Amino acid sequence: MSTLEIKNLYAHVETKDGIKPILKGVNLTVNSDETHAIMGPNGSGKSTLAYTLAGHPKYVVDEGEVLLDGEDILKMTPDERAKAGLFLAMQYPVEVPGVSMTNFLRTAKTEVDGKAPAIRTWAKELSEAMKRLKMDPKFATRSVNEGFSGGEKKRAEVLQLELLKPKFAILDETDSGLDVDALRIVSEGVNRAKEANKFGILMVTHYTRILKYIKPDIVHVFADGHFVKTGGPELADELEENGYDQYLPEGADSESALA
Amino acid sequence: MTEAKEITIPVADPNDPYANPAAMPSSADRNPRSFEVGAFPEPNRKQEDWRYTPVERISEFFNVFTPSSETRIEVGMIDGSALAEGLALSQVKLGEGLSGTVSEPSDRAAAVEWNSGATATVLELKGEIDQPVLVKVHGAGMDLDAFHLVIAAADDTHADVVVEHDGDARLAEGVEIVTGKHSNVSTTFIQEWNAGSKHVGNHRIHVGEGASLRHSVVTLGGDVVRIRMDQDFGGEQGDLNMLGIYFVDPGEHIEHRTMVVHNHPECKSRVVYKGALDGKGAHSTWVGNALIEPTASGTDSYELNRNLVLTPGAIADSEPNLEIENGNIIGAGHASSVGRFDDEELFYLQSRGISETEARKLVVRGFFNELVEEIGIPAICDHLMDVIDKRLARGESDAMAQVLEEQ
Repeated sequence: MSTLEIKNLYAHVETKDGIKPILKGVNLTVNSDETHAIMGPNGSGKSTLAYTLAGHPKYVVDEGEVLLDGEDILKMTPDERAKAGLFLAMQYPVEVPGVSMTNFLRTAKTEVDGKAPAIRTWAKELSEAMKRLKMDPKFATRSVNEGFSGGEKKRAEVLQLELLKPKFAILDETDSGLDVDALRIVSEGVNRAKEANKFGILMVTHYTRILKYIKPDIVHVFADGHFVKTGGPELADELEENGYDQYLPEGADSESALA
Repeated sequence: MTEAKEITIPVADPNDPYANPAAMPSSADRNPRSFEVGAFPEPNRKQEDWRYTPVERISEFFNVFTPSSETRIEVGMIDGSALAEGLALSQVKLGEGLSGTVSEPSDRAAAVEWNSGATATVLELKGEIDQPVLVKVHGAGMDLDAFHLVIAAADDTHADVVVEHDGDARLAEGVEIVTGKHSNVSTTFIQEWNAGSKHVGNHRIHVGEGASLRHSVVTLGGDVVRIRMDQDFGGEQGDLNMLGIYFVDPGEHIEHRTMVVHNHPECKSRVVYKGALDGKGAHSTWVGNALIEPTASGTDSYELNRNLVLTPGAIADSEPNLEIENGNIIGAGHASSVGRFDDEELFYLQSRGISETEARKLVVRGFFNELVEEIGIPAICDHLMDVIDKRLARGESDAMAQVLEEQ
């Protein structure tokens, strides 16, 4: 049983117009085996929260702590956070030319586990996981994410989630850009990985359609850099019905919230 | 193209030279070609060909010298066995036999090499040679030496040659490559000199009619390495593919100059050079010339150079030049870039548990791997990636070295 606690988190980015605060006092606790959906309007800071947790250098933390089983991951480099058990499935997975998926996955697995995986079982595990995600075996020999379609990139993210077995997975708009079949395959992959490894999920999304496949235990509304409402799965239906307007800050310039 | 066509070579009107640009003098007309040292002035940085070169560091290569003959040459198959059938190895006096038959020296250093050396090593290739031939050039000291190699492939030959340089050396090297009609040949030159070594080379290349030549250069070490390559075609439908990889350490100057000449119709050339530079005073130079002569209708040429600057303080000079004297061509493209690591690539790898150091190595390995894979001959690709991995593995953790080796 693991716990991820986000306490009073503030973060900003530097833009050419100066410092722009984005996260404004985020508080959240996620336990193993829980699925949290984080919903909210464009520009509310959901993706920033995801990237700040993973340690992207663009986002500067001003205040707060993020404890993974009591250890503050904000003090760690991105690779140390991954080794501690955090995984971020990105909305736009990055292409790394000339580095084969096989080489990349094996290197990542070696780093996360602290030892190289046994060759025979690893090859089997990889090919079976790819088969379940209906990925063409030739992806293994291609460069990381290079020339992959949007759907293939998302499958590759879920493949990594299955293989790296984190304690907590942040899924940043994993549903975006997927057709119905791909959404089902990707969701099933997430569910399968969770079933096997009982990790906690923070699922960032705009839309409720992925929630039909990956059932959230808890749904949060995120607006203007912090959580404004928390409820059960029924909250997602309410959002689908009424939108996010009521959660935009009182008197706020809606342009800035959407920026 | 089976259709016969007429080629008209434009003639300049002396009263209006700009009316007919194709007949204007090209670099080929301006630049001398000669076996005589005196045909070339002593290099200095005001001359176009030497503007990027630290000439003061290689001034010993500018006047005829007595070679030390300390350089050791071994020729065999890449698996260590004796020369296969279809291969002939001989030594001739410079200027005799096949030596000195491919064009003429194009700069002072090349003429000095020719006039300082006494003999040439001649490797003749004929027929289907299954595995690559390996020529090992081992520098056994810092006394100035000269080495001349001729690689001659007969018509219809299929063969691969790897030339490896290592050890300590100050070497003036001349290489002549001539390939016969419809041959399919690859030549790969690897420079892995010890620190402090200097290597000034000139490759003169003639690609036969309907022949395909893959010419690869990999330079991973040396205080100053400067290799100039002059090429032309012997007939229609020639295909030249030049690849280059270089890794420049602090204080080193690594220079490659590819001079491609399209002098026959329907020929194709590709030049792709990629380099990584590490540390203060690391300096790379790539100058890629492509000259498309009035006679070369239907030319398809492209040249590209990419530089990855790993740490601050390195300088990459990159200069593509095109001279196009025939408008009836398929293409004459070029691209050149100097950049640093992509932060998003590094973050992606790090977010998967890979440390920044390892992530950088993976990215550099990938940067080169893309190019090495193009070579398409497993024995050579594996060999090159081994050489690159060895360079990257300095200070590698044992576990990760093992993972890289298993790739």
